[in-house]
Amino acid sequence: MKYLIQNLLKTIPVFILISLIVFVLVRVTGDPVSLLLPETATDAERESLRESLGFNDPLYMQYLHYMSDVVRGDFGESLRYNTDALAIILERLPATLELAIASMIVAILIAIPLGILSAMKRNTFLDLFITGGAVLGKAMPSFWLGIMLILLLSVVFQIFPVSGRDSLMHLVLPAITLGTGIAAEMTRLIRSSMLEILGQDFVRTARSKGLREAVVVNIHAFRNALIPVVTIMALQTSTLIGGTLITETVFAWPGMGQLLVQAVNLRDMAVVQAATFLIAFFVILSNLLADLLYRLLDPRIKYN
Amino acid sequence: MKKSFMTVLIILALVLSACSSKSGTSSETKGEPVENSDSKTLIVANGTDMVTFDIHDHNTTSSEAIHVNMFNYLVRNTPDGLVSDLAESFETVDELTWSFKLKEGVTFHNGDPLTAEDVKFTLDRVAKDDTLLEHGNYKQIKEVVVKSDLEFDIITENPEPAFLNRLSRLGSSILPKNYIETEGWEVFLESPVGTGPYKFKEWKKDDRVVLVKNDNYFGDAPKWDEVIFRSIPEDSTRVSELLTGGVDIAVNIPPTDIERIESTDGVGIVKSPTQRVMMLGARTKGDGPTADPRIREAIDLAIDKQAIVDSLLDGAGTVTRTRVTPGNVGANESLYGVSLYDQDRARELIAEAGYADGLTLKMQSPNGRYLKDKESAELMVAMLAEVGITVELELLEWSTFATRYAEKSFNDLFFIAYGNSMFDASLALDRLKKENAAGETDYDNPETESLLVAAEKNMNPEERVQQYQQAQELIAEDRPQIYLYQLDSIYGINERINFTPRLDEMFYVDEITLK
Amino acid sequence: MNVVIEEKVTSNPNPVTKRMKKQAFRLLKSKTGMLGIIIVFFVTLMAVFAPVLAPFDPAKTNVVSRLLPPFWMEGGTTEYLLGTDNLGRDILSRIIYGSRISLMVGIAAVIVAGAIGMILGLIAGYYGKIFDFIIMRTVDSILAIPTILFMLIVLAVLGPSIPTLILVLGGTSWVTYARMVRSETLSVKERDYVRSAKAIGAKDFRIITKYILPNVISSFIVIATLNVATIIILEASLSFLGLGIQPPDVSWGLMLSDGRQYIATSWWVATFPGLAITITVLGVIFLGDWLRDELDPKMKD
Repeated sequence: MKYLIQNLLKTIPVFILISLIVFVLVRVTGDPVSLLLPETATDAERESLRESLGFNDPLYMQYLHYMSDVVRGDFGESLRYNTDALAIILERLPATLELAIASMIVAILIAIPLGILSAMKRNTFLDLFITGGAVLGKAMPSFWLGIMLILLLSVVFQIFPVSGRDSLMHLVLPAITLGTGIAAEMTRLIRSSMLEILGQDFVRTARSKGLREAVVVNIHAFRNALIPVVTIMALQTSTLIGGTLITETVFAWPGMGQLLVQAVNLRDMAVVQAATFLIAFFVILSNLLADLLYRLLDPRIKYN
Repeated sequence: MKKSFMTVLIILALVLSACSSKSGTSSETKGEPVENSDSKTLIVANGTDMVTFDIHDHNTTSSEAIHVNMFNYLVRNTPDGLVSDLAESFETVDELTWSFKLKEGVTFHNGDPLTAEDVKFTLDRVAKDDTLLEHGNYKQIKEVVVKSDLEFDIITENPEPAFLNRLSRLGSSILPKNYIETEGWEVFLESPVGTGPYKFKEWKKDDRVVLVKNDNYFGDAPKWDEVIFRSIPEDSTRVSELLTGGVDIAVNIPPTDIERIESTDGVGIVKSPTQRVMMLGARTKGDGPTADPRIREAIDLAIDKQAIVDSLLDGAGTVTRTRVTPGNVGANESLYGVSLYDQDRARELIAEAGYADGLTLKMQSPNGRYLKDKESAELMVAMLAEVGITVELELLEWSTFATRYAEKSFNDLFFIAYGNSMFDASLALDRLKKENAAGETDYDNPETESLLVAAEKNMNPEERVQQYQQAQELIAEDRPQIYLYQLDSIYGINERINFTPRLDEMFYVDEITLK
Repeated sequence: MNVVIEEKVTSNPNPVTKRMKKQAFRLLKSKTGMLGIIIVFFVTLMAVFAPVLAPFDPAKTNVVSRLLPPFWMEGGTTEYLLGTDNLGRDILSRIIYGSRISLMVGIAAVIVAGAIGMILGLIAGYYGKIFDFIIMRTVDSILAIPTILFMLIVLAVLGPSIPTLILVLGGTSWVTYARMVRSETLSVKERDYVRSAKAIGAKDFRIITKYILPNVISSFIVIATLNVATIIILEASLSFLGLGIQPPDVSWGLMLSDGRQYIATSWWVATFPGLAITITVLGVIFLGDWLRDELDPKMKD
């Protein structure tokens, strides 16, 4: 419990820093006014809009103002949609979570069997093929993979729908696109963690007792290899959410990622800031959870 | 590894298909991907999401293209001119007063009848609230005077010859006063109510806007049961949706995909001119070379506009020497469809201007804002190099470009296109008035200026058109803006429908019919 | 660990040569490591000698010969071996020149990231206390924001240019180095010989350079190598979002992203830069993995 509280307290300065980083980044030079108005607007029109949006105050005043609102749960209004920024983001959250979870499942389905297989068949051609494949998966930009999947599986073979979010079928291609990069990383890590465990004493003991190798692997090694996987999953949260920016744009998936890309392009500061906060919150939370889970799964680690 | 298998497979499939087919063009479009259906649901794929239902607080054409189905203007712009919409009749009382009478029996989607109070509420709001993005286009309205339930006068600050054009565009849809005042703007923005042929059903942001037919519409009965406007930002995804029958209309088809779509059964391409004329803004004052009119002429002569249209846009554009293109009041058609290209003369002019050894210019271009903007800019740079003009091209992502543009911090040339939802020369030439041109092109020709100022307030339509046409002649010679070509919009359509795109890029869905 | 110790103990007059020989031998044995070296070598060669190797000026447009296919297909010519793009530019020449910027951005960003990460990691680990707290909370903050989002915001604000790109890539990647350097420093600091050095009054600078740096450097090189691969991919993703390398400069990511419009009609425009990225990243990762096995026994399987 003390450990938990300690970690929670640590997140406070992190949040303040994040707010500062994002605030400075977003406000320092970007001028949303020229984006809101058409090419034909006059200087007077620009100036009056700037004034009415409060962009003429000194920067630190804008920050203090902003933070005092944030503490009260008010992330400001979206310039693009003219409504509460947080509400807009929360509206998209289910779509992004759905995609993220599906991608994680895809990644796990690919990575666990392949990781174990390549560890067991270490240094064979199969191992080389799997590790080579994992590297290839990492080496392919996801927008490219997504467009290829659409062309091949939607346009030519017409198995899956192209884009949007209507049914489970719509989820398949985006989830494969996003899951692939994660799977690549995961496969490599599972392989090495399996190898480590296969070399440990208790596995050797189990083998010497005469149990069949498959059983050894299943019961002992796999359970232990799973522990680092949990951590990996948590550490991938950030990568996963980052990946939604691109995947959602390619597949017109109405989630937070696409929203963010548009918000950045239109300098919709309130949305960018609120979303960044929310994402940071998720990432930190998932890391904390992973930490706890790690401790639960592995009885050797004790709370300090 | 499954996904790497797939990767390998895809690469293989692509390479193989490319090797086996002659040009690779038809390899992706085998079979008959498109189902012909007579579904009464129309699906349109836009490149961006609608921004808001606050019709006064946005200026995006693609949002207005959706709104026109839910709301009505007082008068409506059609290819045959202005026709009445909500207004039964209208007349000018004097230079500053317009008198209107509304149609009887028009109701909003919530059942409230339309009255002159609604008109006053709508126009007063945008005319008085300077925080609204459309305020600049409506501040000319002094006040709206309600005379009876259906009759009202609009009084303008100055004579407004193009006033009806103003009232038939973005921001002039009539809103339900009673509904908004009792329920509040929040509620209106969540579930908007208008007078149009389609009612609001839902808006999933960055995904779709769904409208359903309004059985109580005062005009012709709506033709579709349901209309869906989807938002698909990635071009290739939008094309794929069209090819697989997922959408009926897809906007902004990349020119390179035209051939592929046309060779696929069941889908086709339709094009329409737009209001956007690509141009090079040039600084006409200062120390830079473009201050010399001969250099500006040389730049004009050095660029083969037709080649850009043919090669980069696959013909989806029309060369022009004016910005006021046909369909706009005051268009000078003798300057439309023509362009100058004579590189030898350009070299002579450059030599005459004293730059026989060549000169260097700076040019800014947006990247990703207009159809093939980056490629066009790169090609122009290559063409200018042929006559000895070295151009340092700076390609800017749109928001940076827009900021720099607003700061007026461009150097010699900048590549841009303006919209014009007024369909009138006044807005098209507005930026060349001395006051607005300062710091941008610095254009200052007293003759042009006096024509523009006079025409702006001239209530005699014929004389006004002449003034604008004359001004365009002068501008074409002075070249503060070097006009290049008018952009077409390219739509992919499912052949189950008939669709003629409009100059104003609106989707009046009842103009779209099933075959 | 045994590799290093073994060699310290042996009385070979020239341990370095022997170690190198040993490694060279293992390199030959490790097929992927060999492949990695070969790929990286060739790509580097390509980048260095781009003006000599490229048959055309990569920016030279030619409207007449637009979208020509590669030479083995009908309509292709041996003049343009890999075909031309939508402006009639030679794809082979663009790939050759593109290697320059792709590699330059990757390496420069790694240098920036490595330098920041090394310095801050050392400070955090060696001096601890408030320095450690501030630096590590900054690390946490940066890790909590997805890299691509962070970069998107910065580039949108500052405008995409090569220096900005390098600084941002470096400015977000340093955290990995900082964490590694910090934990290494923490563990080395507690070792007896460092403690005794400190006790007899050795200066901080000397302790850091003599005892800590040598322990950090091998992990450092491994991370740096793998980081180059990540950065090449990131640059491509940024190009997709419109904020990567801007023309007239050319990078593989930009070519791939621009070419995506032509995937269905003129596949070669995007496929070759895509292959260039994939192969290079593959090579760099193989090289990195091999380096890890060789230099950093702790990280070994």
